[in-house]
Amino acid sequence: MIVDDDLSVLQTCQKIIRRNNIKVRTAESGKECLKELEKGFKGIILMDIIMPEMDGWDTIEEIVNRGYIKNVIITMLTGKDQPGEKMDHLKEYVLDYIRKPFDAQDLINLVKRYLSYLE
Amino acid sequence: MALSNIAIIGSSAGGPRILKEIFTELPVLNGSIIVIQHMPEFVNKSFTEELNRLTEMEVVIPDYGHEIAPGTVYIAPSEYHCELINNSKIRLYKGEKVNFVCPSIDVTMKSVVKRSYMNIIGIILTGMGSDGKEGIRHINSIYGTTIAQDKYSSIIFGMPKEAIETGCVDYVLNPEQIKEKLIELMS
Repeated sequence: MIVDDDLSVLQTCQKIIRRNNIKVRTAESGKECLKELEKGFKGIILMDIIMPEMDGWDTIEEIVNRGYIKNVIITMLTGKDQPGEKMDHLKEYVLDYIRKPFDAQDLINLVKRYLSYLE
Repeated sequence: MALSNIAIIGSSAGGPRILKEIFTELPVLNGSIIVIQHMPEFVNKSFTEELNRLTEMEVVIPDYGHEIAPGTVYIAPSEYHCELINNSKIRLYKGEKVNFVCPSIDVTMKSVVKRSYMNIIGIILTGMGSDGKEGIRHINSIYGTTIAQDKYSSIIFGMPKEAIETGCVDYVLNPEQIKEKLIELMS
């Protein structure tokens, strides 16, 4: 699942991942991400950090609080800067990071790599 | 073969990719490697199996009291702190998070004791925060060898940077160089 308020990022990621015959869902906000998890989503989450209302860290906190963390591998989509330290208590739930803008091949390598952990 | 070396690798966000580079075709070394990778519990098994496929060393998730053996890599299970007892056995326990994480790299590294006949190696790879910083200080104080991943190859430079800033790191290396150094120190 790709979680990003930037529609161009969502569409691009979706296209890249689908071309590789991997099922993908999108969420434009943290709330939408949580709804997908409520519906039973299990898999990899590519999560943007900076989003309005509920940012990536807030969303991860909710994922942990609601117990969905047992079903997902979280990778964060970051900008140029490295993530700050404000969410130290959530860092252990993030397995990897990919920096925007990213290369299509790097994205698909990352997704395939962690899909293998779920098989 | 008597156990003569112990390496502890601490790793967090982005670590699985870096560990893959280090362990790919890593030959059997004279000693044990303990890997503390922050990760969700449900990926412990697949992560361990992946490393097992990459290296000639045996890669296992230890149980409580597991006696460590040369040529073996131990993956600390999620949600348990992992200590070494007299550098020879593994003690796992549920405890308060240290540096906001469990297992904590500091806990494992600080449990290692000085042995004149043993090379002790501490390595800090990519990750957020400062876990491993005190562990590196400890390993340096017992005359072990300390290594931090370099900035260029680190997905998140937080942990290596904190370790380097202690002034206790002997080598700042990329994954390929870390692998070469491990082979050199553990042959």
